[in-house]
Amino acid sequence: MNTNTSRQNPAEWDEDAQLLSHTARDLPMGRHQFHKERLMARIQQEQRTRTAAAPEKAGRFRLSRPAIVLPAVAAALTGAVIALVAMPAGNGAGGGGVATGPALTTTVGAATTKGVPQLLDRISLAAAETSHPAVKPGQYIYIESRTADTFTKTVGDKTTLASHELHRRQIWNSPDGTEGWLIDPAVNDSPEGETLSLPDEQGNPREAGLNGPSYDYLAKLTTDPDALLAKIYKEEKGHGNSPDQQAFTTIGDLLGESYPPAELYSALFKAAAKIPGVVVVQDAVDAVGRHGVAVARLDETSGEREEWIFDRKTHVFLGERSVQVKENSGEDALIKPGTVTYTSAIMNRAIVDGIKQTPSQAG
Amino acid sequence: MEVSTQLRTRIRAGDSSAFAELFDSCARAVYNHAFRLTADWSTAEDVMAATFMEAWRLRDRVDPEGGSLRPWLLGIATNTARNQYRSNRRYRAAASAAAAAELSVPDHAEEVAERVDDRRRLAKALSALASLRRTEREVVALCLGEGLDYEAAAEALGIPVGTVASRLSRARKKLRALTEDEAAAPAVRTTPKNVRGNREAGRPGRQIRGDHAHVVRPVQGGNR
Repeated sequence: MNTNTSRQNPAEWDEDAQLLSHTARDLPMGRHQFHKERLMARIQQEQRTRTAAAPEKAGRFRLSRPAIVLPAVAAALTGAVIALVAMPAGNGAGGGGVATGPALTTTVGAATTKGVPQLLDRISLAAAETSHPAVKPGQYIYIESRTADTFTKTVGDKTTLASHELHRRQIWNSPDGTEGWLIDPAVNDSPEGETLSLPDEQGNPREAGLNGPSYDYLAKLTTDPDALLAKIYKEEKGHGNSPDQQAFTTIGDLLGESYPPAELYSALFKAAAKIPGVVVVQDAVDAVGRHGVAVARLDETSGEREEWIFDRKTHVFLGERSVQVKENSGEDALIKPGTVTYTSAIMNRAIVDGIKQTPSQAG
Repeated sequence: MEVSTQLRTRIRAGDSSAFAELFDSCARAVYNHAFRLTADWSTAEDVMAATFMEAWRLRDRVDPEGGSLRPWLLGIATNTARNQYRSNRRYRAAASAAAAAELSVPDHAEEVAERVDDRRRLAKALSALASLRRTEREVVALCLGEGLDYEAAAEALGIPVGTVASRLSRARKKLRALTEDEAAAPAVRTTPKNVRGNREAGRPGRQIRGDHAHVVRPVQGGNR
């Protein structure tokens, strides 16, 4: 099993593997036997009651605490529980639905620290002025984007750059974040998409946070830029390549696929203006070719620059992208400066009345 | 190979004793793999249990030819775990909570320095895993954690071998950068030889265990 992959450096391999050596342990006392017996009971139960119901139709298994697995199985058989588990069989893993093409490239725009506060100030003002419909219970936040990315691909011993072509991504979320649906052919296994309405590991509804913000969570967040930034630094401590880069990325993620209330939107830009190392890029292009001005920050570790792109006149947020700006070494040297490693343009944000409903259908 | 093919045939046929064997030989690997992807031992146990239930359900999709079924199981586990943390931010939150928990356990007088060191290393591994993208973490968990080769990892994830290679290469670069950053900090590394004898911790991906006792000992390596 472990013998036929050529690895350039077995010593390094062992060293990397060593990092994970403490993540292995036995099941707690008695649990191996406990779960084995449950599996056997389940199999025997099904063998006894095998009827016309093909195993294919039996529904998927929702994760639940051990004590309630069997009732959940019964519910699954009636079709009441639909917890989607991506299909591992065949070519079932995500990403199969999007064509791949050559690397995406762009001209690396010149960056300057001059005018950063002024630009963010204008963006913040523009954000505060936008009207934002209130979300009523039972409605969903719908966000549609176009996205693409570049990655290295190895066939045999030849490594080349490839990309997922630009494709549409649609996401629906309930205001409390407990219900959702995602359609993104680069992620989904089936064209219908997949549910995001999944409980946490305790079987409880997901709790929203900075790491998985719901609309309701964002609406309650402080709009004081200093307090907001302090919260971001505190909660993201220890993550990312540097605290400043992580704060910038966190705000970037909140801008992208969410629909924050205008006050918070505005506060996020004011907070971003306080992060060291933030620059302005005068010309940046979003995923669908719209030119704009970007607020950006270079991740010194990866050599990638994250750019938030805004319309030059209206200062409306168009999208974000990551551009390699520094030379890489090793295998990643293929990712030359000017390579767009990820890009996403926001096409539509709306409040809709039903999950999987688009704004045009609502009218 | 003979044995693997036989087991595959029995699994496809829904032979319950084949599932018992599969469980005995792979439960621990699936459990550990799930932990690396969920950063929580109790969730990992749930994922492990769900994985075997799912394997039973998907038994007729098993390819009749082939080697160990471990990559197939790990693939199912990966997908099951993925549903726990669709957002990488959630994983990072869990990993950081788990790492903090490992480090904050009060030092008991009788606790040997070695155990404290173990916990520090576990916390470090979690932080390292949290620094990766989900797709990178999955490949790292399969290849470095469970010792699958590129082909087996590709089979597990249903992606091309080249994608496994490129993701892994990227991830390892990140991990090494991380280790170098921490080189300045007080060293928590020990050499592989220094690993304790009472629990497996050495080369991952081997199914030969240390002498940690199960109530019932797993059948060893029947399907490899």
